[in-house]
Amino acid sequence: MILAEYDERLPLFRRLERIVQITLQNILDSNGLMVTAVSTRIKTRESLAGKLESKGQKYNSLSDITDILGARIVTFYTDDVDHIAAVTEQSFDIDWENSVDKRRLHNTDSFGYSSVHYICRLPKNMVNEPDYPQLNDIRFELQLRTTLQHAWASINHDIGYKTGVEIPRFYLRQINRLAGILEMADDEFSRIRTEINDYRRRVQQLVQNGKLDDVQLDGDTFRSYLQSKPFDMLNRRIAAINQAEIQEVPLDAYLRVFVAFGCKTLGDVSRLCQKYVDDAYALARYQLGNTDLDIISSSVGIQNICIVCILTQGGGKIGLTRLFNALNGDNKKNELLAEMIYKQAKDLPFMQK
Amino acid sequence: MTTQIQENGNQIIAKFSGRLDTNAAIQTAEDVKPLLEATKKDIILDCDALDYISSSGLRIFLKIRKEASANSSKVIVRNINDEISQVFMMTGFVSIFEIQ
Repeated sequence: MILAEYDERLPLFRRLERIVQITLQNILDSNGLMVTAVSTRIKTRESLAGKLESKGQKYNSLSDITDILGARIVTFYTDDVDHIAAVTEQSFDIDWENSVDKRRLHNTDSFGYSSVHYICRLPKNMVNEPDYPQLNDIRFELQLRTTLQHAWASINHDIGYKTGVEIPRFYLRQINRLAGILEMADDEFSRIRTEINDYRRRVQQLVQNGKLDDVQLDGDTFRSYLQSKPFDMLNRRIAAINQAEIQEVPLDAYLRVFVAFGCKTLGDVSRLCQKYVDDAYALARYQLGNTDLDIISSSVGIQNICIVCILTQGGGKIGLTRLFNALNGDNKKNELLAEMIYKQAKDLPFMQK
Repeated sequence: MTTQIQENGNQIIAKFSGRLDTNAAIQTAEDVKPLLEATKKDIILDCDALDYISSSGLRIFLKIRKEASANSSKVIVRNINDEISQVFMMTGFVSIFEIQ
């Protein structure tokens, strides 16, 4: 009887599945939450038949079974499980009596399966289709877990199924103690993320307050430095040569150039740029002044600073080729570009200093 | 100025020939429209026979690049001559495109 009900209601479950998929994605997008995976599945007829065979006496009708439709969100961090749990609580009607946070079920001295399982319904303020009122009645299961919890649960499930018999206590203990290790790893990843975010905030503050000598040069700090738009003024001066428009492009690739120049802090980068800013402008004026090119990218200023730095320090064509290889990837064209720039720049005042 | 577009498996190749100046840009912008709709393709801008590019031409290349990003496609500029290399360098467009 339950299987016949299943066959009859399958199209409805498919409709519900689509709504749940879209809703979960919207919840994640609107809260800016990045996750490893969002998946849904409808229990197969065979799987349901198996469940009824083993636990059939528990169920009187299909509506007693809450996981015909199952949805799962796998997060990077354990904090995100709580965050998503909080926002899904506001989106769906939760059947609290049948929902469980399995993380909290363990005793202080035990480890094992850890996920949040919510039994949900679609509230009428989310979906109200007069032709399908059952959409608001059907319960579905939403599982929330971290990537590490998911890995543990998947392997545990695989081992359990493959052996087909109860796992000896010795092995069960080994599997469960791995859950403990992964719980520690999850907490560590969350802690590290929090610390990195704090570090980024501190760096942004130091950059905003101009304390650049206190900030070590690395990928994070260089990005913060770029957010303060340190090359905008030079770019605007260069753009003014031909009344050009400026196209914004990422400048992150210049980090390795400044590292190669020996810069250790953002203060070093800032001083180097200040030192060569006027000569970088002179180079641009020399190059663009006789053209009618009225579009430039926002990399022109920083690019010219690096060119001038290399040439004034005697890096010559080889130094320029290395610069272009670092920025644009190894390419025979880079030697040619270096040759051209070198010829253009050799008569400019900064080369005579 | 002519633009020929060929599809070759996962690649769409636009072969430019002549001078891509302000006058030619209007027709070229029309000719490259198929590139703007290409999804998940490698778009090759073959400049082997392109003698010159103006700001209008750079804007067309930039539009192709922007649409390609939105369509998960990749743009490669190939076989640019010395003069065009210099234009790409002076304008910083060398940072925007993969040049082969």
